[in-house]
Amino acid sequence: MNVGLEHYLTVSGLLFALGLFGVIVRRNVLVMYMCLELMLNAANLALVAFSRFTNNLNGQVFVFFIITVAAAEVAVGLALIVALYRKKQTAHVEELTTMKL
Amino acid sequence: MNLSSISLEISVLALGLVVMLADLWLPAERKRGLGYAAAAALGVLLIWNLKGCGSCAVEGVSFGGMFVQDSLSIFFKRFFLVAAILVLILAVEFSDRFAAGVSEYFSLTIFALAGMLFAASANHFALLFVALELITVTFYVLTSFQRSRQVSLEAGIKYLIIGALSSAFMVFGIALVTGISGKMNFTELAEVAGQYAGNKLFLLGVLFVLVGLGFKIAAVPFQIWAPDVYQGAPTPTTAFLAVGSKAAGFVLLLRFLFAGVPAVTVQWTNLLIVISAITILYGNLCALPQRNVKRLLGYSSISHAGYLLLGIAALSTAGRSAVLYYLGGYLFTVIAAFAVIGIVMRHLDTEDVSGLAGLGQRSPLLAATMTISMVSLAGIPPLAGFFGKFLLLKAVIEQGAVNHGYYCLAFVALAGVVMSFYYYFGVVRAIYWGQGSTDLSPITVSVPMKFAIYVCIAGIFFLGLVPGPLMKQTDKAAAVLQPVPEVTAVSSAN
Repeated sequence: MNVGLEHYLTVSGLLFALGLFGVIVRRNVLVMYMCLELMLNAANLALVAFSRFTNNLNGQVFVFFIITVAAAEVAVGLALIVALYRKKQTAHVEELTTMKL
Repeated sequence: MNLSSISLEISVLALGLVVMLADLWLPAERKRGLGYAAAAALGVLLIWNLKGCGSCAVEGVSFGGMFVQDSLSIFFKRFFLVAAILVLILAVEFSDRFAAGVSEYFSLTIFALAGMLFAASANHFALLFVALELITVTFYVLTSFQRSRQVSLEAGIKYLIIGALSSAFMVFGIALVTGISGKMNFTELAEVAGQYAGNKLFLLGVLFVLVGLGFKIAAVPFQIWAPDVYQGAPTPTTAFLAVGSKAAGFVLLLRFLFAGVPAVTVQWTNLLIVISAITILYGNLCALPQRNVKRLLGYSSISHAGYLLLGIAALSTAGRSAVLYYLGGYLFTVIAAFAVIGIVMRHLDTEDVSGLAGLGQRSPLLAATMTISMVSLAGIPPLAGFFGKFLLLKAVIEQGAVNHGYYCLAFVALAGVVMSFYYYFGVVRAIYWGQGSTDLSPITVSVPMKFAIYVCIAGIFFLGLVPGPLMKQTDKAAAVLQPVPEVTAVSSAN
């Protein structure tokens, strides 16, 4: 069997949907954050696959930008989650209810 | 490669680094002054930019078409500089409430400004993404800066999760759009977008990019974060979020829709109309029962995103020019409101409307500022908010002959304006006729803060009474995005 562009895109779409599902269903901030990383990597996979099959290197270069930015985002995000845990001893989103109407 | 074209951005980044390093040597009691110094330095950069700043205001593209300098980007760069100067003055006033890291707050504000400056010139998906993330990631920190306060941390976490979710959508959208068309540059993309206007995957990609931008401007259905983050974030952050971050979203939206994929934009007119109408209604209806002033302004900012979308949905140069004009008025109005909230609510735990009671006696200047800003937000002549709304509605109604949806949209917008009178005047009523105020001590306002407030009041009145000078600028800036005529021909053929 020949693995073509559509196979890669299907996997990437599945990864994206899986990540989105996780963000919606899981209630632990840390796990939600992991699911968000999964979504970013789904996009990376799509970019690399497109780039490979269309002989256009733009996509592969863009992946490096995404990886770098995602690293910065994770550094800030994990620091925030740790600060929240220290304050509340929990990382569950149900407990984030200080601000309501 | 032409480094002089980004000399403004480089100067701003250097200023941010200098502020961060100066923190190491300055004694603690002098750190507040650093904020004023940074604001003054940005003021110098603004004047330098107005004078043409060497070659940084020369129009043209550089970095292989990635970075574009035109009237639109220059307009927004000045806009962001003014916003950052006023926000820094607010931040100095607020800084005694930070447990630590006052200078970091100033430098992060300046880094966010650098992101906005790059966003104003982005003509390429890579620059769009990096600029947007520079803004968003710095705002995660700025939002949760009072980390000893639980609301601030909560706001930060909510902004983080929803922000990261929307950037994941945007990145996936960019992957689909660039993968299918093979173009990352907006100018090149516009040439081929028409061919792919029927490709489902390409359209899905465009939709996902719009999700990411819709999050920045807080348009329904990506507005969930706005009220909580506005309420929980430190007041200067909220002001910068309401003005800078929203305007950055709008400049990218304008570029992407009209310079990147005009062929798709024309097909999606009805979608834009519906989103604009729902955003206006949602923001105004939810603001009605609010008691917390910052949360109220959070909902009000959603409704203003809706009004601004009117101009984009109109798909005309007049509409885009009105968007820029409205943002100009919104800048002064919102910063004035948050300046007053920052000073008056200093000793209160929550920013309840009742905290404004007796302000008319405690400080006539602050009471007048808050009243003017509420009246301008409500859109009553002769203030900036009125003239901006007038231009937006005019642009929409002019298009009514093409598509009758525009008449409905104009009606919804007017209904929204009428609804908004209730909550804006609730704030004014609390200021002058509020009961139960125990603290009637006069409030002193520092000189730089007075300067910021007078600038805002002057801006609100000037843009309401003498619209000519700014309109000339906005018309010129909006004319940059001009590839629509041939595309409208396509849409009428359909």
